[in-house]
Amino acid sequence: MAEEPTLPRLPSPLASASRGKRTFGGGVSSPELSTSSDPAFFSSDDDPALDNYQGQGRRKRRYVGAWFDQHPASSDSGVDDETRATHVSRRNKARPRPKKREFRRQLDSGVWMGTDGALTDTDDGVDLEPVPARLPLVPRQAPAPGPLAPARPRLSVAEEAVQNTVLRCLDNGNELVDLSGLQLEKISDGLIEPISNICPIPNVAKDVAFEQRDPQIKIFLSNNRLRTLPLALLNIEHLTVLSLRANQLTKLPPGIAKLRNLRTLNIAQNALRFLPAELLGLLQKGSKLTEMQFQPNPFWVPGPAPPQNIGGEEYLKRTFGPQPDVGFEASWAGLTTKLHSRTPVQFTDDTCELRSSFVLPVQTRSFRAAIELEPFQELATPTGFKTHASAETNRAVRPRGAKSLLELTLRACAASGQAEEIASWLREESWPAHLATFVEKANEFHQSGGGRCSVCGRDMVVPMTSWIEFRQIGRTTVTKNGDGGEVCRFMGLVGESEGPVPFMRSLLPKALIEHPANKISTQHSGYDGNPTTAAYHPYPMDI
Amino acid sequence: MALAEDTPSKYVTLVSGDGLEFVVLREATLVSPTIKGMLRGPFTEAKTGRCTFPEISGEVLEKIVEYFHYWYRNRDKEDVPDMEIPVEMCLELLQAADYFNLMPSRQEGREAA
Repeated sequence: MAEEPTLPRLPSPLASASRGKRTFGGGVSSPELSTSSDPAFFSSDDDPALDNYQGQGRRKRRYVGAWFDQHPASSDSGVDDETRATHVSRRNKARPRPKKREFRRQLDSGVWMGTDGALTDTDDGVDLEPVPARLPLVPRQAPAPGPLAPARPRLSVAEEAVQNTVLRCLDNGNELVDLSGLQLEKISDGLIEPISNICPIPNVAKDVAFEQRDPQIKIFLSNNRLRTLPLALLNIEHLTVLSLRANQLTKLPPGIAKLRNLRTLNIAQNALRFLPAELLGLLQKGSKLTEMQFQPNPFWVPGPAPPQNIGGEEYLKRTFGPQPDVGFEASWAGLTTKLHSRTPVQFTDDTCELRSSFVLPVQTRSFRAAIELEPFQELATPTGFKTHASAETNRAVRPRGAKSLLELTLRACAASGQAEEIASWLREESWPAHLATFVEKANEFHQSGGGRCSVCGRDMVVPMTSWIEFRQIGRTTVTKNGDGGEVCRFMGLVGESEGPVPFMRSLLPKALIEHPANKISTQHSGYDGNPTTAAYHPYPMDI
Repeated sequence: MALAEDTPSKYVTLVSGDGLEFVVLREATLVSPTIKGMLRGPFTEAKTGRCTFPEISGEVLEKIVEYFHYWYRNRDKEDVPDMEIPVEMCLELLQAADYFNLMPSRQEGREAA
């Protein structure tokens, strides 16, 4: 009895590689083929099956060999006799009939197109790894131990809903992206980014001029559980309406000032203690922001106003330099702020320790504390900071010179995304303890979008000097009267009677500049003027 | 060495723990209060112009020297581009920045230039 039929053994990849003969229909290209440099040959007499074709009107090829080195396929029995005869007579049998064609490389054949390196490299001993079969018919084993590609993060149900909404808006050219009430805790940046590509479908009608207009994107994120604002939102240039109502935001990133086209901002019902001072860039004359809901929020409240709380204008001018005037048209109505008071300054030194008597309250404290205020003319500085003070002129501050190595390194840490790991390394003994604090702070600052120094405009790695300005937000209408002058009218917002709102100023760490010319002139105030002034310059001014 | 005492050389030599030596512009090294102190005091380093840092490896010291020159070149410029810091050296560089006092507020400003 014959053996039971079994499946033929699969050719092992090694075996197929060692075999020199080309197999047809194998599917697997053997490595020799891919690296071989044999001249192409156009004969078909390798295949014995082709013999069946003789006598059917088609002739076999009479010549074998490459196009540059052809000779009659005389060894083949299927060649016509007459052709053979002519050839034989012409060549007079001088040519010995090759038994077997020898394979040699014709370097200038024009057919072999190897690279130059391959010419000298592995010429005869082709010892490449055998190519594995495309589909190994081995039973699937348990996942091999070892590093696997990280699984793609699965989207939660809410995030999937976000994705669907965004994609639908993208498809329809819908500028209103409604993501409210999805119980979102965080949104990854990748989901938000496509929103900036939304393009309105222009109105195409007869007799109407085609007009390309900028999109006016509106994003509603209200009634979610967001704790931080997704930073990708800040890159949507044409964002005009942003609603973050009823979330759990504790901080607004300073980068919100990038949203120059914002008209409506709703940050009510969050856990905000203060707003970034950068937001003031949107709350000045000429900006587009006209609607802003910011109450209720557990904002810090100012303490009792100190006596002699005057000279705010002077304080602003000396501290921040002249502010560029934003151009606007004949009349303008929008939101502006009015300086109310300011707190003392909180300084941090190089070891991340607080060096000032004034310390901003902890964010997580549940009750709303009244914050100590300081008159504009005074400045409580810790003693260590006064030694750097030496400046003669009062020119506008221009940041100069390179960042310190510590800042550069911290930036690299934060940007690498491994800051937590680095900080935990630093927490171990034998490292200076304050470095870990630095790394953590830099990372936190980086995560919240970074920011620039309020005074000199350099980008910060770790803000080390900060204070709060309380400002009243109100609506201002500016009308130009006939002779080119402006009439400004400031009105506190109706219903927003909760008083001034804290704005956080953060600065680069550097010395306080103090010199007689910086004194606030006190003639109009009656202030008897001790020569201390508020003018913080992160870098020494020009000498 | 008598000559060196009278007119200090324009260059100083920084030696790493594994024996690599870097000859650096003296003015560039003065950004670091630590080195400044070494070179200005009544110390051997001030006399010989040669500072040895046994705890710092050559690789890290090379980056520090690169920073010295980066700072020196850019000391009067505005909008200085950041220097490249490889992530794998962050730990050591943080420590070295602390050691050399290259901190934001302690680092010497333009006085040294």
